[in-house]
Amino acid sequence: MLFPTVDFALFFCLVFLGHWVLNHNARAWKAFMIAASYIFYGWWNPHYIFLLAGVTAVAQLSAIAISRQEDQRRRVWVMAIGITATIAPLVFFKYYGFFAVNVTNAATTLHATVAPPLIQVALPVGVSFYTFMAISYVVDVYRREFPVASWVDTTLYLSFFPHLVAGPIVRPGELIPQLDIQRDPRHLDIVGAGWLILGGLFKKVVIANYLAAAIVDPVFGEPARHGSLEIAVAIVAYAVQIYCDFSGYTDIAIGVAKMLGFQFPQNFDRPYSARSIQDFWRRWHMTLSRWLRDYLYIPLGGNRKGTVRTYENLMITMLLGGLWHGAAWHFVVWGGLHGVYLVLGHWKAALRARGVLATPPDTWWVHTLQWASTFALVCVGWVFFRADSVGTALSMLGRLVTFQSGPTSLVTVPVLLAIAIGMAVQFIPRAPGAAIRSAVSKLHPVPMGIAAGFALFAITTLGPRGVAPFIYFQF
Amino acid sequence: MPAGRALVVILVSLLVWAVLYAPELKRSAEAAPVGTRRTISLAILEPLVWVTDHTGLTAAANAASRAAGRDPNAEVGGVNVGVDPLPSATPGDQNDHHQPVVKDTDIREPTPDKQLRVAIVGDSLAQGVGFAADAVFKPFWVEVFKQGRISTGLARPDYFNWMAQMHTIVDRADPDLILVMIGENDNQGLLYPDGTLEQDIGTFDWAEHYQARVERFAKIATSDGGHVVWIGLPNVSDKSRWDFIQKQDAIFQSVADELPNVSYFDSWNTFAAADGGYSAFYRDGTKVSEIRAPDGVHFNTDGYTLLTEKAAQLATKDFDLDPKTYAP
Repeated sequence: MLFPTVDFALFFCLVFLGHWVLNHNARAWKAFMIAASYIFYGWWNPHYIFLLAGVTAVAQLSAIAISRQEDQRRRVWVMAIGITATIAPLVFFKYYGFFAVNVTNAATTLHATVAPPLIQVALPVGVSFYTFMAISYVVDVYRREFPVASWVDTTLYLSFFPHLVAGPIVRPGELIPQLDIQRDPRHLDIVGAGWLILGGLFKKVVIANYLAAAIVDPVFGEPARHGSLEIAVAIVAYAVQIYCDFSGYTDIAIGVAKMLGFQFPQNFDRPYSARSIQDFWRRWHMTLSRWLRDYLYIPLGGNRKGTVRTYENLMITMLLGGLWHGAAWHFVVWGGLHGVYLVLGHWKAALRARGVLATPPDTWWVHTLQWASTFALVCVGWVFFRADSVGTALSMLGRLVTFQSGPTSLVTVPVLLAIAIGMAVQFIPRAPGAAIRSAVSKLHPVPMGIAAGFALFAITTLGPRGVAPFIYFQF
Repeated sequence: MPAGRALVVILVSLLVWAVLYAPELKRSAEAAPVGTRRTISLAILEPLVWVTDHTGLTAAANAASRAAGRDPNAEVGGVNVGVDPLPSATPGDQNDHHQPVVKDTDIREPTPDKQLRVAIVGDSLAQGVGFAADAVFKPFWVEVFKQGRISTGLARPDYFNWMAQMHTIVDRADPDLILVMIGENDNQGLLYPDGTLEQDIGTFDWAEHYQARVERFAKIATSDGGHVVWIGLPNVSDKSRWDFIQKQDAIFQSVADELPNVSYFDSWNTFAAADGGYSAFYRDGTKVSEIRAPDGVHFNTDGYTLLTEKAAQLATKDFDLDPKTYAP
C-alpha cells in the first residue's frame, strides 16, 4: 500500500479510529496494530508477511538466546549466529541473482560444472529496513543496552506500518518503550502531523514525480542523446528528486506516526545546505548513517585504532553502505566515492589540527565555496547512484565535462522552478513554518479540514497523473 | 487537539478533496478494468461528481488543472511520459506508398539526409523497447519515435485510443518501420471508445473481436507503406496467465501471417526456459544474463536491448532492413 493513494487514506482512517478506541486496552491495541501493519504489508504481496514474521521470529529467538548466556564468548557466538540468520534472507533476496549469474559465467569460462540454480528473486518491499532494525535489536540486547522485549512488542516494533517499508530505521529503545505508554488522546499534534504529511506529499507528488518524468528519466535513460547543459540540469534535478522523494516519504511516515501519538527520529535535516561531506552525512538519511556508525563503523574499531585503520573503517562502512542499496557496481562506486570524500575530509581536518593547513576564514564567501563544492561532490556521487551502470555514469560525466552540444528542450522553466523550490527548502528559515502551524492550530476542526482538503487538491492537481513508487522502496 | 476532533479534520479534508477531485477520480475509475471495484468506485463517485458539477466546483477545478498545465479533458491513458513528440506536419512522403500493399516489400535504404523513421508503439513493454531502440538504432541512419504508453492496450479505447493514435503516428511521423508490442493489459472486456461494452472477457467471441482489432490496428500501421514487426507477448512468471497470453500471441501471429508487411516476432519461445517455462535469464552461447524485471512481466535494460536487436534482425530478414542501421 503506497502512502499517496486512496487505498491508504481509507486504511488510515480505519486504523486511526481503531487505534484511539483501543488505546486504553494495551493488549487489544497491540493485537489490532499488528494486524493492521501486516495487512498494510501484505497489500503488496501476501507472501511477504511470512518473511516479515520469519525475520521477527529469528531476531526474537536470537535475543532470547543471547540474554540467557552469561559467558561473554558464548554471547558473542550467539549474537553472530543470530545476526547471520537475521540477515540471511536479505542477502538471499538482494544478492542471489547477481551471485548466480556471475558464478555461472565464471564456471562456464573455466569449463567447470558449477551451476547454481538461476532463480530470479524479487526483493520484498522494506526487507532492507526491517532487517536492519532486527539487527539493531539483537545487538542492543547483546550490548545490554536494551532488555529482551516480549514477542508481541518485538513483532509490533518490526512491523509497525509507518516505518515498515522505507524507514526511518527506528531503534528498539526509541519505539518499544512507546508501545507501553498510554497515548493521551486529548493532546494530538494534528497540525504538526498534517504539516509533515502535506509537505511530504508536495515534495513527492509535485516536485519528485515531476522532475523524474520531465528531465531525469529521459536524460539518464539515454545520456548520449543529450548535451552538457541538459545533463548538468538533469544531475541537479536528480539530487532534488531523490531528496524530495525520500524525505517526502519519511515526512509522511513521521507525520502518520505522530497522528497515532508516536515520535519517530528525524531522517533528513536540510542535507543540501551541508558545507562538508561529513556534515552531509549528519543530515542525509540520518537513521541509516547512525546505524552504519553504531553497528558497523564503531564495531570495526571506528577512529580508536589509529589513522590508517580509521580510514579503512570509513571506506569499509561506506562501501557496504553502497552495497546495501543493491548488488551492482554503480552502488559500490557511489559508496566508495563517499568513503574517499570522508577520508579526505578527515585527512584535511588532521592537517589543520597539526597546523599544516590553514583554517579558512569564517566568511560568507568561504561558506558559499564550501557549500558549492560539497553539493558538487554529492551530485557526482548521485550520477553513479542513479545511472544503470558505471559505464553510463562515466559517459554522462564525460559528456558533461567536455561541453557537448545538444538539445536543450528539457531545460524548461517548470523544471528550473521545481529545482529551485527543492533547493530553497534547504535554506528557508523554520520560523515562518512554525508561525503558519501556530495560526492553523487556532482554527476550528471544520475550517482546518477544509484548508487541508484544498491543499491536498492543489498537490494532486499540480503533480503528474498516476502514482510513482518511492525510490527507496527498491532498496 | 483531542483525537475525536482530529478525526473530524481528517474526514473533512478527505471529503473536500474527494469533492474537488471527483471528476478526475471518476475518470480514473472509468479507466479501471470492468469489474466489482470499478462498479463500486463509480457508484461512490457519481454523487460526488454531481455535487461538484452543481456547485460550480468542476469549472474551478478544471481551471486549476489548466493553470497547472494539465488538460482536464485529456484521455486518462494519454500520459506522455517517455513519449517522443511527433512532427507537427506530415513530412515529405519519401516512400509514396499510397497503393494498397498486397505482398511484403523492402524497407527503403536510409541515407544521412533521409533517415529511416522507426516508431515503437504499444504499452509499458513498448516503452522499454523504445528506450532500448534509442540505444540500438544508430542516430546517423535512424530517427526513433518512442510512442509506448503505460497501461494501454487495444481493449480499452475509452482509456487510450490506439487506433486514432496510430493514424496520427502514420500521418505525422510516416514511419518506415513500426515495432509493436501491445496486449499485456488486454485481459479484460473490449469496450468502445465511448465506454460501452463491445464484448466481455471470458466469452467465446472475445478472441474474434480482439483479432478484428489487432487486424485493424496492423492495417492502419501499414496503410502508408510502413512495415510492422509485431512483437508477441513474452512468457510471464505467473503461470495462470499463460493460456490467455498464448491465445493473444496466436492472434498476433495469425494477423501477421495474413497481412503484407507485417512480421511476427515470437518472444515467448525466444526467451522461454529449456522446458518451455518462464525464465528470467537468457543464455547466449556461453554467457548467461538476467533479462527480465523482478515483476516477472517486463524486461530489464539488457532484456529490452536484446529484444530490440532481435526485432531489428527480423526486420532485416523479412523486409531487408539494412543492418548498418543497428548492427554494432
